[in-house]
Amino acid sequence: MTNKKKITPGKIILWIILIAVAVIQIFPLIWLLDFSVASNNEMFTNGLLIIPKVFRWDNYATAFRDGHVLLYLRNSLIVNVLAVLIVIVISIITAFATTRMHWKLSSTVRNVILLGMMIPIHATLLPNYVIYDKLHLLDTLWALLIPYVAFSLPQGLFLTSSFMESIPKEIEEAAIMDGCGIYRIIGIIITPMLKSSLVTVAIMTFLNNWNEFIMASTYLSTSTWKTLPFSVLEFTGMYASNYSVQFAVMALTAAPMVIIYVILNKQITKGVAMGAVKG
Amino acid sequence: MQKAYSNKAVIASLVLPGIICFVFAILAPICLSAFYSFTDFSGLGSYNFIGFTNFKELMGDKAFWRSMLNSLLLAAGFIIIQHPLAIMTAALLDRKGKHAEGFFRCVYFLPNVISVAVIAYLWKFIYNPNFGLLNNIAKIFGGKGDTNWLGSGTAIWAVLIVLIWHGFGWGMLIYYTGIKNIDPTLYEAASIDGADNKQTFLKITLPLMKPVIQVNVTLAIISALKQMETVYLLTNGGPGNETQFTANYLYKQAFSSFRYGYGNAISVVFVIVCVLATQVLNVIFKEREGRKRK
Repeated sequence: MTNKKKITPGKIILWIILIAVAVIQIFPLIWLLDFSVASNNEMFTNGLLIIPKVFRWDNYATAFRDGHVLLYLRNSLIVNVLAVLIVIVISIITAFATTRMHWKLSSTVRNVILLGMMIPIHATLLPNYVIYDKLHLLDTLWALLIPYVAFSLPQGLFLTSSFMESIPKEIEEAAIMDGCGIYRIIGIIITPMLKSSLVTVAIMTFLNNWNEFIMASTYLSTSTWKTLPFSVLEFTGMYASNYSVQFAVMALTAAPMVIIYVILNKQITKGVAMGAVKG
Repeated sequence: MQKAYSNKAVIASLVLPGIICFVFAILAPICLSAFYSFTDFSGLGSYNFIGFTNFKELMGDKAFWRSMLNSLLLAAGFIIIQHPLAIMTAALLDRKGKHAEGFFRCVYFLPNVISVAVIAYLWKFIYNPNFGLLNNIAKIFGGKGDTNWLGSGTAIWAVLIVLIWHGFGWGMLIYYTGIKNIDPTLYEAASIDGADNKQTFLKITLPLMKPVIQVNVTLAIISALKQMETVYLLTNGGPGNETQFTANYLYKQAFSSFRYGYGNAISVVFVIVCVLATQVLNVIFKEREGRKRK
């Protein structure tokens, strides 16, 4: 506190460490952006970065068109927004039923659903493929929505129910005296009070599912519901030798989430910290 | 009032959606997986029940043990390299970051919000023997710059670097929040007593961060076990099975080698390993802490 203005060797080292780590984390991404606006034959350079003779913005046009970015982005938005909403609703009602309502199996049911946190999604890939095939759910929105919701639910339930336990019961008890039903209590009294933990649930669900592709590429074969990561996955086959266009499609695919992160950086930081420590 | 809270129909309507979700997407698939693990199903046509043959084969399967070893290596990489670096960076950022704190935090975390698909292909290019970034860096330091990083021998290290790099920000962020929760008056007291940065870090920050470190280490080990996506795109377990991970291996057996039954046997063992690992870690850390962590 006292040597606020002095520059000491120790301080310089600290700053060097902070900056070095930052460079390691960010440089590959800068390299990606740099190569995405170069032309393909400029790539075989000895330097670290290229200064392109002409900025090839058309790489992005090609990537946007042939990578089906618009369609896949739309699909990603639909799937993820729906998944977030459903996870929130089911988390609230399950949390209410298992922390507030009086019945014998309440804690058993909650613990069983929380068990889902330990189950690796990959263990369900093979059987789910067969199940969805039998039920004709392959290549539908459901093939993504069901597992996304199911695997985000345990954490959602955990966060909501631990928060719900801290809400005093007096308010809702007064409401019940006045003849208010359970559903209305959940909707009008409980949900607004859960706001901060619901934001966390939403952020964690969104972050976990937005970039998911292994389930998507197992259960989807037509482009109807393919999500954003497919732009990259499909492109590498299509433009196998045109590297700079591949760089462009990677940058484009990463862009939406990076933009969301930069805008909501404070909330996401808080959400991740809360979700991870409690989850 | 008791009546309103114990209305069976209302309770059922509230818990059924969650239960259905769990049963349909998690429980039923795992039971089905267990069923197929006792068959020689190829994925198509008919199949026979072959008892524990798949499991017996798995116990002697070198690729499976290699994948377990790789998970251990990755967990070690997380714990020995990623986490100490993350906690140190977080402490530095908290104490010295000032106005640049938000900027650095953002930069460190950024790789985490980018899709594994992009990350895996980006690093494939970084490791590219012809124009890759890493070989160009090697050239600057006088190397020949024609190393095939994803080739035999170096591949597993190349994969570990990507995973350690990608997850760094997540760990850093959790430590950072933990450090932010430490009472600042402790630091002031230490500074009045003349403690230097190193002492403050070792005597105040680290001990108070113990619960956060335990949670983070648990998460790291579990995520090392569950690793699949990056490896699937980067090397698909190759060359040979040098970079194999369990989830990738079961996928490959079922969908590339058409050994769906065997893949499911790996799946079943995989679930058991993950659940056991989580439980064991929780027990260890709970006992050590001497009290129940909420």
